[in-house]
Amino acid sequence: MNREQKIIAFCCNWCSYAAADLAGISRLQYPGSIRIIRVMCSGMVHPEMVLHALEQGAAGVMILGCHLGECHYIKGNEMALARSEVIADTLEDLGYASEQFQLTWISSAEPERLVEAFRNMSGRLAVLQSEQPVDRVPEG
Amino acid sequence: MQPKLSFEWLHACSGCEIALLNGGEQLLDLLGQVEIVHFPLLMDHKYGGQRGEGAPLSLPQADIGLVSGGVAHEEHLLVLQEMRKQCRTLIALGTCATYGGIPAMRNEWSTADTLRTVFTAGTSDTDPIRPPAPAFLDRVYSIDEKIKVDVSLPGCPPQPQLIGAVIKALINKETFQLPQKSVCETCPTIREGERKMAPVQRFLHNADYDCDQPLSEMRCLLEQGLVCMGPVTAGGCGGKDTPLCLRARVPCRGCYGPVRPGGNQLLDMMNALASNGIDYRAIVDRKSLLRFSGAHGLLKPARKK
Repeated sequence: MNREQKIIAFCCNWCSYAAADLAGISRLQYPGSIRIIRVMCSGMVHPEMVLHALEQGAAGVMILGCHLGECHYIKGNEMALARSEVIADTLEDLGYASEQFQLTWISSAEPERLVEAFRNMSGRLAVLQSEQPVDRVPEG
Repeated sequence: MQPKLSFEWLHACSGCEIALLNGGEQLLDLLGQVEIVHFPLLMDHKYGGQRGEGAPLSLPQADIGLVSGGVAHEEHLLVLQEMRKQCRTLIALGTCATYGGIPAMRNEWSTADTLRTVFTAGTSDTDPIRPPAPAFLDRVYSIDEKIKVDVSLPGCPPQPQLIGAVIKALINKETFQLPQKSVCETCPTIREGERKMAPVQRFLHNADYDCDQPLSEMRCLLEQGLVCMGPVTAGGCGGKDTPLCLRARVPCRGCYGPVRPGGNQLLDMMNALASNGIDYRAIVDRKSLLRFSGAHGLLKPARKK
C-alpha cells in the first residue's frame, strides 16, 4: 500500500458514519489511507468540495450516504446521486480520472459493506496509480 | 502632485485598454486627475529607457498600476514582476488577468501540442519559437498566480464605469466593494421554476421573445433551453442595469468569471443543471464553459489513457 495515498470519505451522519463507527467497534480492518469527514447528509457535499480535495492532493474521494429511500432528509441522497454523475464526467474534463470518485450507499447496519467499499476504492486507486505515466512527455 | 498611472498589457487583446478609453466623460475627469507614465497602447515608451539606459527592462514608478492579460511566456512574467516592483497598488484588469481568459483555453493542451498544432502546422518551420522570441511557459497563468494583486477587476472587457469608479476610489484612498452577485441577480427575465425547463442546447437558434416587449416580458433563456451561464458568472457587466448580453437577448457567455474567486464555472454549471433535473450531457462541449477561466490549473490536458 502507498503510505502517501489519501482517500477522503465524506460519510453522512445518519448511515455511513454510524456504519464506520460500528466498523470500529467491531474491529474490522480497512486501509489506513481513508480519511473520514462526517457530513450531515451526502447531499450537502458540493462537487467543488470533491474537486478541492483532489486539487489538494487526495488520491480519491468517496461520498457515502444512506440507501435510496432511507435518507434522513428524505431526498438528500437523491441529490447526491444526481450530482455524482456530474462529478464523474466533469473530473475527466478537468484532467482527473473518473475512477478517483466513488458514490456508495451504506446503511448503519452494514459495516462490512463499508469496509469492502473502502478496500475496493483503495485497490482501484493503486491500480490507477500504477497505470499512470510517470511524466507527461510530449509525443512526436 | 497627481498620482501616477501605469497601464501594462500582457497576453491581452487591448480590449481592456479600449474599455478605459470608452468611459466617455469620466475619461476626461480621470485624465485631469492622474499623470499617465506608461501606457503602451497610447504612448511610445521604451522598455529599456529612451536611450537604452535602463536595459533590458525598466518601467517607471507609479501609484496605480493596471495590468491586462494573462502570463503566457517568459517576457510577460518579467514585465509583470517589474510592474509589481514599481506600482504601489496593482489592479488585475479584465478576465485574462484575473482568470486567464480566452488565451487560457490553450491550457486544455500541453504547450508542445499548442506549438505543434498552432505554430508549425502548414509550415516547414519545425522550430517557430526560438530566441530572441521568449519561450512559452508550461501554461497560461492569471497574474495573481505569479504576483500579489491588490484589486481584481474581471470582465471581458470590464465595464468602463466600474474601471473609472475603482481608479477614482484609489485616487481618493477610499475602499471599493465590487459586486459579488451572479448575472442572474440583475437579469429581469421571467423565471417560472425548475419544473417547466426545456432540455438545454447550444445557442444555435434564436430565443423566443416578442421584440416589441421589454426584456422583463421574456422568459429566462436557460429555462428556454439555451445554455446561459448567468447562474455561475459574476455580475456587473451591465452596472446596476440588465446584463449586456441579455440586452441583446443573447445568453451569458460567462466572461466575468466565477461568482466567487476560486469557483469553477464548468463544475458549478453542471451541478446547477443536474440539481434541477436537467440532462447536462446535452452540452457536448462542456469544457468550453471554462472558456474564460482556464487559469489557476482549472483547464488541464486530458489524462493519457
